[in-house]
Amino acid sequence: MRQEILSNFQRRVPMPSRTRRQRFVERALPWLVPLALLIVWQWASFQGVLPARFLPSPRAILKSFIELSASGELWTHVRVSTVRALSGFAVGGGLGLLLGLLTGSFRWAEILLDTTLQMIRNIPALALIPLVILWFGIDESAKLFLVALGVFFPIYINTFHGIQSVDRGLLEMGRTYGLSPWALYREVILPGALPSILVGVRFSLGFMWVMLIVAETISARSGIGYMTMNARDFMQTDVMVVGILLYALLGKLADLLSKGLERYWLRWHSAYQPTQ
Amino acid sequence: MSSFLASRERLVQPRLSEGRQRGVGVSITNVSIALGERTVLQNFNVEIAAGEFVAIVGRSGCGKSTLLRSIVGLEKPQTGTITLGATAHGNPDVRIMFQDSRLLPWKRILQNVTLGLGLSFHPLAEDVLAQVGLADRAHDWPANLSGGQRQRVALARALVHDPSLLLLDEPLGALDALTRIEMQELIENIWWNRGFTVVLVTHDVAEAITLADRVLLIEGGQVVLDEFIDLPRPRARGNARFAALQDRVLQRVLQHRAFANTHRTRTANQETR
Repeated sequence: MRQEILSNFQRRVPMPSRTRRQRFVERALPWLVPLALLIVWQWASFQGVLPARFLPSPRAILKSFIELSASGELWTHVRVSTVRALSGFAVGGGLGLLLGLLTGSFRWAEILLDTTLQMIRNIPALALIPLVILWFGIDESAKLFLVALGVFFPIYINTFHGIQSVDRGLLEMGRTYGLSPWALYREVILPGALPSILVGVRFSLGFMWVMLIVAETISARSGIGYMTMNARDFMQTDVMVVGILLYALLGKLADLLSKGLERYWLRWHSAYQPTQ
Repeated sequence: MSSFLASRERLVQPRLSEGRQRGVGVSITNVSIALGERTVLQNFNVEIAAGEFVAIVGRSGCGKSTLLRSIVGLEKPQTGTITLGATAHGNPDVRIMFQDSRLLPWKRILQNVTLGLGLSFHPLAEDVLAQVGLADRAHDWPANLSGGQRQRVALARALVHDPSLLLLDEPLGALDALTRIEMQELIENIWWNRGFTVVLVTHDVAEAITLADRVLLIEGGQVVLDEFIDLPRPRARGNARFAALQDRVLQRVLQHRAFANTHRTRTANQETR
């Protein structure tokens, strides 16, 4: 067990002595299990062990994916869902960042707001759905609200925590160098809080999709959720699986994006640096 | 790397003309500082001359660091005053260096050195980095530097401001013995050439005697020993007078630990000696 933990840390260090074959094996290995599952799945469908009513074969799914994207229907839904997700993320994330910066930086704001926000946080966001439908009906604003609510708290909490845990020694140093409050904020506090804020962003991206799926499943006239629910009504299991896989793909894309941001913004951090 | 060590020759030559002296004097009068319940400094008085290199030694928690922090304004004395002399060019610039380098990890070395200064200071910062032997590391991240190199960057960051008073709060405490000696020589050289005032807080009596014109021992919130070190520079540690001085200061530091009884007899012994 201990060895395993150690080997996970050592993985960050690229070993120049590794041969090309070893590197290829290392790259290919993670895909071995998914590939095997896919083959077993296709075989089971082909043999009729897995009825298409429950789960269509990978080949059928691929076929319907190609059909849907050729007709352009798929991309319309993807676009609608992405716009919903991102605008909800912008609103909720922006508010979370703003309030996190406020309560993290000013004691009075923390005293005034933090208790309230922590109480709201403990309500499961999905428990609000009946109320949300009552307030916003079932149109776009309801979906925006749900997504924004989902992404708000991870970003709020991590921003607050990031600012609170900025190295006091660096703050003191900045002050002795005569940095103005704004310069201190820009040069020391914000970059110091950034690693934690980005952790919040990654968490919230996960919530973003969850909330969107729920919102689109309840009621929608477009979007991936609508496509999936519509397909259920017509027993088009292949389209349903395409929709589910799209969520997985978009989720992975969002995660890659946030990882890229981390790699760029935290390039000073030893964990993101190539060893010399 | 060796560029800054080579200039050691200069120390034996006479000091630069008075006109280039940038140091300011510091007078600390009747200063009392309490941190929470604990009184750290009590009616503390000391006069530091312009351009002087003063080392402050004492046990942990004797108030050495608090004194430095109050000079730079990080602590506020409850009573008393701390005044700095005037310089030809306005307000004296005071810089402090800590035991940890306190570099901003998200700024490259050059940007750390020019913290709070405009782009126009980059050429000067590069010069100063060269002085501390790190010209080629200007575009590295602090995470890629060793502890000793980081302290040299911290020193460069202070020097860019051309300080009149440099406060050193055990800046070499965390370095290995060899790096430490290198840094001591570097600090001595730069101080000698620039002529600012230095107040160095250290645990290491040998370091204090190697570098300082004057060693102060603080105990119970007061100066209990004020020793002028008139050894010629650069100072060799093997020297008999060096050893005698070091022994005297160390004895005085350790004395405090003894019980009242032994304390009295020891002092008596020393006086008869």
